Amino acid sequence: MFRSIHSKLRFWQLANHNGANANHSENSQSNLFDNLNKNLTALKGVFGNSYDLNMREFNFGDQGLTRGAIIFLSGMTDTAIINESIIKPLMYDIRLSSRQETSLLNNMSIIQATLLTVGMVQKASKIDEVVDGCLSGKTILLMDGSKEALVIGTEGWETRGLDEPKTESVVRGPREGFTENLLTNTTLLRRKIKNPNLTLETMKIGERTKTMICVAYLKDLVPPQLIKEIQRRLQRIKTDAILESGYIEQFIEDAPFSIFSTVANSEKPDLVAAKILEGRAAIFVDGTPFVLSVPMVFMESFQSAEDYYSRPYFASVVRLLRLLAFLISITAPAIYVALTTFHQELIPTSLLFTMAASEEGVPFPAMAEALIMGTTFEILREAGVRLPRPIGQAVSIVGALVIGEAAVGAGIIGEPMVIVIALTAICSFVVPSQTDSGTILRLILVILAGAMGGFGIGVGLMGTFIHLASLRSFGTPYLSPFAPLSTQDLKDTFIRAPIWAMFTRPRTIGWHDPERQEFRLKPSRPTEEDKS
Amino acid sequence: MKNRIGFIMKIMVCFMLILPISGCWSRHELNSLSFVVGVGLDKAEKPGEIQLTTQVVKPGELKSSSAKNKSSESGTNAYWNIKKTGYLASEIIKDFSHESSHKLYFPHNQVLIFERKLAEEGMQPYIDTFIRDIETRFNVLVVVSEDRASEVLDVSTGLEKLPAINIAKLVETQKITSESPTVKLIDFIRRLMSKTTAPIAPLIRVTGEGNEKTLEVFGTAVFKHDKLVGELNKRETRGLLWVINEVKGGMINVASSSGDGTVSLEITRAKSKMTPVIQADTILIKIDIKAEGIVNSQSGSENIASPDIVFSLEKKLSAEIGKEIMAALKTARDLNSDIFGFGDSIYWKYPSEWKKLKMKWDEVFPDVEVALNIDTKLRSTGNISAPAVPAKE
Repeated sequence: MFRSIHSKLRFWQLANHNGANANHSENSQSNLFDNLNKNLTALKGVFGNSYDLNMREFNFGDQGLTRGAIIFLSGMTDTAIINESIIKPLMYDIRLSSRQETSLLNNMSIIQATLLTVGMVQKASKIDEVVDGCLSGKTILLMDGSKEALVIGTEGWETRGLDEPKTESVVRGPREGFTENLLTNTTLLRRKIKNPNLTLETMKIGERTKTMICVAYLKDLVPPQLIKEIQRRLQRIKTDAILESGYIEQFIEDAPFSIFSTVANSEKPDLVAAKILEGRAAIFVDGTPFVLSVPMVFMESFQSAEDYYSRPYFASVVRLLRLLAFLISITAPAIYVALTTFHQELIPTSLLFTMAASEEGVPFPAMAEALIMGTTFEILREAGVRLPRPIGQAVSIVGALVIGEAAVGAGIIGEPMVIVIALTAICSFVVPSQTDSGTILRLILVILAGAMGGFGIGVGLMGTFIHLASLRSFGTPYLSPFAPLSTQDLKDTFIRAPIWAMFTRPRTIGWHDPERQEFRLKPSRPTEEDKS
Repeated sequence: MKNRIGFIMKIMVCFMLILPISGCWSRHELNSLSFVVGVGLDKAEKPGEIQLTTQVVKPGELKSSSAKNKSSESGTNAYWNIKKTGYLASEIIKDFSHESSHKLYFPHNQVLIFERKLAEEGMQPYIDTFIRDIETRFNVLVVVSEDRASEVLDVSTGLEKLPAINIAKLVETQKITSESPTVKLIDFIRRLMSKTTAPIAPLIRVTGEGNEKTLEVFGTAVFKHDKLVGELNKRETRGLLWVINEVKGGMINVASSSGDGTVSLEITRAKSKMTPVIQADTILIKIDIKAEGIVNSQSGSENIASPDIVFSLEKKLSAEIGKEIMAALKTARDLNSDIFGFGDSIYWKYPSEWKKLKMKWDEVFPDVEVALNIDTKLRSTGNISAPAVPAKE
């Protein structure tokens, strides 16, 4: 079904392709003129009448005879730098110097080398480069009589400060989260991994948005094939806009028709750093705090950063709880439906009587009940997420009353079903990264259970497992380390082994350099040698 | 590409069509079922006919009566006994659909009650449907009642709202005293189908009158093949249970060694092993019993916490156990009913000799010799060692 929609979309796309492309290619390759007025007119032509475009013309030189102009977009630039480090040196400091004016006139290099007190300055000779620079917050210095322009790094705009991530809060562990600023994000990563091998490759994707994408990895750890594949997949994206990393994710994922995601995302620098240190690569996208990481395995959904910060016993128990909760969240309504409509003999006698008493007079079959309650819950959840907080509370009160009290009181829904759905709802939040796939799976399993009972659940789960085993993420089997089985990597699955015992990286991911740490790191009493 | 999409679409449509077709043939919503918790079989007036009583639960009443508490005790019962007569149990069960708007659902049946009169005539014709039917279970408790089963299924105590559940729990509680066996349908059938071993079942009867009616378990019904031939009293029953390794607990009183009152000993753990030995023409069954107990109470003032006295108490306990077993053995011999499973134990150990024995087992059984080897240990004297008596000067 998806495939047919996709092919139709493609056909439609091809039909419109020629028209869409024409807009872009206009005057993109032309050079700058040596006349300032001509250049300014050309740039005005490019930008139109945008109110945030500033063109400041001025005369400079020790006698004020040279004409120049700076062009920048206000709001994207730091005006203090422009005033102090560009205009002031050119208009004021130059008069203090004993240099001959003529030597300055035609030489951008000297201005760049001697006058501008800014870190990042580049030369540009094409209108295209100038426009690009201007759009990314740089300041353009043009000079009458020069065919070159200087692109000066003055980026500076309002950003959100470092904040605790809303999606992944922890009790123990660093509380900083990524922001919308790419540079801040990569800096956060660099501060975690102070290693020259940490490579940050950038590229721009999006014909119109020109979004900066940064692939981060440890050069000596990551398999070269992985980086090649990431670059291949990124380079073939020819779209007009990348607004969030979700765009990239959908362009590069391995199984676009699967309900399971094969690209992981996180808002936490420590988590991304840990993944990079295992041999993965991270993909930063400018404008979003969500950083992608590939390859992803299924087990990652059940791992949380905190597992590694708390002691292994508790972490292991929590890990098992998460697996249990995930299982409950996808199967509980289905099992309830199957038990009450097909396998009443499996319910303990006294429990059965209690359930039968609650179901007495309920007009719907159990499957319909499960679907009604499930849908109601999903609606409530969605309403709660989107609404502003004060109204969200009202929604939850109404929801709790409608579901918990009125539906049962009126005899429309049985009490056990409410309990099952409530349990399912809570459990579905325990594994946040599989909430979306879990919701769909739950629906499918309820329908199968309503039609075929326990057999249906068996078929559904088996199908899911077969599908999971068939998935790959950037060459890594999705179910690894279970399938293919890698016994030494089971140390970080159902249980979380002590940090000192995890001396190898996961075999399917960090195989390029499998040794993480020394073998004998278990804390021990000092030996005689240590004492002396 | 187009062909492939078509193919996938076809498969998906087929799959969706399968769902409504294949599903639902055994689908029953909870509120369309009547759960049977107890079945009773009585002799009907016409010869050859039986009366079948099934007890079904009314879940709504079960719930509301618990909420309303005792004030509405005179109100409706939480159960409904449907009674019908006929020749075959399976036929009667199907006939119930004329009276019950819900489908009768048997997997949660707890007890199968046979009237004694019916059991005396032979149970085989009636028990078949409870084994053969796919809905019934083998872990149903089998009970023989002195009174009519329909009457037994109407005796409700304050503790349980459903008489059938009450009976089931009553029979299972007998483990505390080990004076009545707990027999599941599977055990009953196994013994019934065995060449020699005789089935047993607990016996119950109604005591009291009017509103004071209660049920009582009193001993064991002993069968010969499928016919009830006699009974064991409580003491004999424990004798039987010692041999078949079913004693889980119980109390045995012995006289104190100084003759000062009696000491009650509680069995905490018991284990028995049966080994047949055939030498020449004599058959000897060796029965090894290991039992552990504690002192539960003492009526005298003697301090029993000394090794000598404990040893003598152990010996007395062993003797008492031996007496119980011999009492059971005597009744079994009189009834010529191999309730202990001696025949099967010989068959397992001496298959070749068994071929000769099996034809004349009925004549051989009363003469089988039994050797007891009882080893008892008293593990503790309870919370106190010396009894609480006024200190002597």
